[in-house]
Amino acid sequence: MAEMTARVSGFFGRMPRWVYVVIALALAIAFPLLEQFGLMQTLWLRLGTRVLVYVLLAVGLNLVLGETGLLHLGYVAFFAVGAYTTAILSSPRFGIQWNFWVIVALAMGLSMLFGFLIAVPTLRLRGDYLAIVTLAFGEITRMTLNNWETLTNGPGGIPGIYPPNIFGWTVDSPLEFFYVLLVAVVIVIYLLGNVKDSRIGRAWNALREDEIAAHHSGVRPMRAKMLAVVMSSGIAGLAGAIFAYYQQFINPTYFLFMQSTIVVCMVVLGGMGSIPGAVLGAVVLDATPEVIRQAFTTWLPGAFGRDFLPGVQSALQTDFDRYRMAIFGLVIVLMVIFRPEGLLPNKLWKREVHEEDPRELEKTHQHLFDFEEGKQDLEV
Amino acid sequence: MQFERIRRILALGLVLVLALSTFGLGGCTQDTDDGADDGATGTTETIKIGVHTSLTGGLADYGFAASEALKIAAEDFTGFEVDGTTYEIELVIKDDKGEPAEAPIVAQQLVDEGVVAVIGTLTSGAANAALPIYQTAGIPMISGSATRPDLTELGFENFFRTCLRDDLQGAAIGEWALELEAAKVVVMDDRGDYAVALGNEVQATVEAGGAEVLRQEGQEGDQDFSAQVANIMGFDPDVVIFTGYHREAGLLFKQLREAGSDAQFMGGDGIKSNEIAQGAGGAANVEGAFCTFGGFAQEGMPGYADFAAKFLEVTGVEAGPYAENNYDALGAVVEAIKASGSTVGADIIEALHDVTYEGVQGTLQFDENGDVTVPGGGGTDLIPRFEFKGEAWEFLG
Amino acid sequence: MSPEHIFSLTISGITVGMIYALIALGYTMVYGVLQLINFAHGEVFTVGGYIAASTLIWAGVDGTTPLAVKIGYFGLALLVSLVLTAALGWLIERLAYRPLRQQSRIIALLAAIGTSIFLQNMLVIVFGPQPIIMPTAIVPTGFVEVFGARIRVLQVIIIVVSLVLMALLTWIVKGTRMGKAMRATSQDREAAEMMGIETNLTISFTFVMGSSLAAIGGFLVAMYYGSLQFNTGFLYGLKAFTAAVLGGIGNIPGAVVGSLILGLAENWGVGLTLELLAWLFVLGVLVGLYFQLVRAPRRRVAHIAEEFRTPEYESRVRNVYLFAPVLAVKTLFSERTDALVYVSAQHAVRLMLGNAILAAVAIAFFMAGDIQFSSKWQHVISFVVLMAILMFRPSGILGENIVEKV
Repeated sequence: MAEMTARVSGFFGRMPRWVYVVIALALAIAFPLLEQFGLMQTLWLRLGTRVLVYVLLAVGLNLVLGETGLLHLGYVAFFAVGAYTTAILSSPRFGIQWNFWVIVALAMGLSMLFGFLIAVPTLRLRGDYLAIVTLAFGEITRMTLNNWETLTNGPGGIPGIYPPNIFGWTVDSPLEFFYVLLVAVVIVIYLLGNVKDSRIGRAWNALREDEIAAHHSGVRPMRAKMLAVVMSSGIAGLAGAIFAYYQQFINPTYFLFMQSTIVVCMVVLGGMGSIPGAVLGAVVLDATPEVIRQAFTTWLPGAFGRDFLPGVQSALQTDFDRYRMAIFGLVIVLMVIFRPEGLLPNKLWKREVHEEDPRELEKTHQHLFDFEEGKQDLEV
Repeated sequence: MQFERIRRILALGLVLVLALSTFGLGGCTQDTDDGADDGATGTTETIKIGVHTSLTGGLADYGFAASEALKIAAEDFTGFEVDGTTYEIELVIKDDKGEPAEAPIVAQQLVDEGVVAVIGTLTSGAANAALPIYQTAGIPMISGSATRPDLTELGFENFFRTCLRDDLQGAAIGEWALELEAAKVVVMDDRGDYAVALGNEVQATVEAGGAEVLRQEGQEGDQDFSAQVANIMGFDPDVVIFTGYHREAGLLFKQLREAGSDAQFMGGDGIKSNEIAQGAGGAANVEGAFCTFGGFAQEGMPGYADFAAKFLEVTGVEAGPYAENNYDALGAVVEAIKASGSTVGADIIEALHDVTYEGVQGTLQFDENGDVTVPGGGGTDLIPRFEFKGEAWEFLG
Repeated sequence: MSPEHIFSLTISGITVGMIYALIALGYTMVYGVLQLINFAHGEVFTVGGYIAASTLIWAGVDGTTPLAVKIGYFGLALLVSLVLTAALGWLIERLAYRPLRQQSRIIALLAAIGTSIFLQNMLVIVFGPQPIIMPTAIVPTGFVEVFGARIRVLQVIIIVVSLVLMALLTWIVKGTRMGKAMRATSQDREAAEMMGIETNLTISFTFVMGSSLAAIGGFLVAMYYGSLQFNTGFLYGLKAFTAAVLGGIGNIPGAVVGSLILGLAENWGVGLTLELLAWLFVLGVLVGLYFQLVRAPRRRVAHIAEEFRTPEYESRVRNVYLFAPVLAVKTLFSERTDALVYVSAQHAVRLMLGNAILAAVAIAFFMAGDIQFSSKWQHVISFVVLMAILMFRPSGILGENIVEKV
């Protein structure tokens, strides 16, 4: 049995990366078709769409938290800026309906502007101060949205957001939104994958590992960090814009501090600096609680009779959310202590966090040796 | 090496989980039924009624009252007959945690289950988020407690409610304050959805009546209101109206009394909980406070005594706020099904507009927007008033 | 705007500030020795309050209990809360932070945030989401009337207890062996170890001290307001952290000064009319001008090395500050400059901009006159203070008391 497991997993381990990408993409494209053919409830499609929003957020935050090593605790504020841009410019609130592309561009642009404005003064500071400033910024944003009633309708929120019109195609079902988001996710991941392997991506990683050394090797810390913060803000703005269209209603309670920490948790769980990790983190953390809840309240009782583990069922009815958040907290702590490189680690980051581990050190040496011998690219 | 192996096992596991869940999900969708066959005689049919409420989160108490009241209602109404068909009611209860972000998921779940009507949501924010989904699916949604005024003005013809609107309650509170001949009134909210809407209405009414208003705000979850208390003391009001919930109200009233205020305290239905005395550091600090309620007066209801007794018997606790509104929501749906003879959503929606229903709260009708009305209409005099005496709220009229 | 109103705003500002200070001290001490923002500190504070309140509930104190017994229970609750909360602080350090000493700061900070979320939700799981109610019989209810405003005995107790604890803490840090070890550890942990200091013990001690102070803070807050909720600590923790940064993190008097300023800012900010607030900004401009025109040039001039010290050079440095709008800006844009003059010019421009912003705010407020900030902006004020201080003077008002390592 053990041998078989080893063989099967060895098979998967040997696969080149593009195989995984193709499999993941094929699964993602096929997923909504299950609903179309009546094999799956629409609920799961809706959940999948929400997962994709979180994937966008996690990938965007990964840029700052994972690649550059800056802790950003107000990420949801940029999400809010994007969402409110859409809500204000395409709803009965002011009776206007701007073009989808204009709104997405504006949402991204505004988020990037806000990202730039808070980055300018705070990036000079130590990393942990940045965390607090971004946290404060997130709270200020939420409270301002809550208090600025003439623009945002305050806590009442903005209902009735019009569906977007993309080149004459009105997007208004979960299925269509799933594909719109999937396209956005694929584009963002493709671009980020390229940026990551470019000069600037290397600069981010260098900054994360040793800012002084990076500075002396010709990296401009301010510029590189700024770029990371601004880019990730733009991604959050994009996610917010599409989310508002999809949800058709937003109010300030969507943008609580808790949301930011959930996204942080996704990135940490998946592996900081690893795009597949961020995707995995988002999928696992957003979908698992719902799957568990469904399993214990619907599927298992359906299969084994109504009174299957009634205690678990009632606990899931009343306390599940609290346990969920407590577990999230615990996951963050346990992950950073026992497996700081995450579930799907980025090799470089893994080496960095296991610096004192002789096996990892040996690997690094071997890697550099191979590179010098011309056997291997210095890809990480 | 070890990490590499873990990674491989994880990759394998992930693929397995995906495969399993895909097929697993497929397996559980076949048992939805597609409404009624009209005209069949002598048959029994089960109809599913969705309950979209909040069993967890800050408003869990209200959600508990609603879901228990609906269980009682389902038991009372089940087995009704239309054209010879006997309908059994099956409730599908789902929890949205009081978060609007969860509401669409819950709504979709209920739509997937094939419910013919939904009772809910508990909060107005969740109603905003869930209504588009129910509308697309053509399912009527009757809320017993979503009181935000503009909900019925957004053009959703599938939305109805059996509770009165906040603007009516706000006007009633304002008028009450004016009746007390208050010249200076403080209106304070907690920046929450419900409190702000109510507070705005109160402020408008009181200002229209010629009194001077000082508007103050706290935040939900705040502990310290000292700045607001100092401002209120500096204003020296006759009446202080807090439109939020009882936790913050208790803290505010306590801090005001300790600062030496002798103003009359008032509030909306958010403070109508006897726990306010504990939060206020003793009943003495809230003694004589006034509050209103967003529904009809329970004391004037023909069926409330029986309903409350039954609720107490079944659940072992007193019926919470809005329990009877939820009971009547289900009753109205049953009445509409009887009237239209159909369990198709569109027919129920149409029938609900014309239905006249004798419920716990009395004779109810819905106007063209879906708001509840009583025969002959009525204004702020419909709103019941309460005073805190001793340990509990007492009905005034 | 009556004087009583201003006076009562001030009193409540000081009370709130003192509570912030008790929490801020915990942040500042931990930051001092570990350079770690102990994010879970706010939750430790709530746990302290919860334990004290539940001890009193368990003891069944009510109005009929004789005074001596009440005081006994009071002491018991305080003791239980102190011991358990200190143990919690020690545990957090031992389990969550110690394994991460060698890792980067961001990793440790993530652990701290995870701990905070975990503790907050454990409180809900154990005690339920509804607030815990402090038995009111234990609370002294008297008050004195000063200038027409009431000062409650409890407010006086809070202020006095806080001051005593701060004095005690200062004595521990400045006057005991353990304090010396703490200071050594904060300066250079490895060097301290080489000198024979048990740094692990010292760090644990710091956590125990910080948590004990938080426990007392939690107890006082629970008594003052009569109840506590599971998420109370989050906002208090954030405000206290703001206060610690405001005063200069790692600096004990700084934490107290910062807390008082923050408490007053929150109360005055939403209580005074803009005209009165404008006077505060005028005061700020005066202080700023003092720094720009007197203090900063003097300190820069003192930095000039002896061999370069000439009257011309001195006046050149000084003039950059005195005529900042022209000279400093010119220096920044000129091709070849002297390093000291360049640095001075940068500093001068920063000071100038700060003063200009203060003056602009003051003028805007004077023009707005009788209007008052709505109290809905109360929390925003403290967050804006936090952002502003980190942008303009990240080392805080009194400066950081630690050797800054990059």
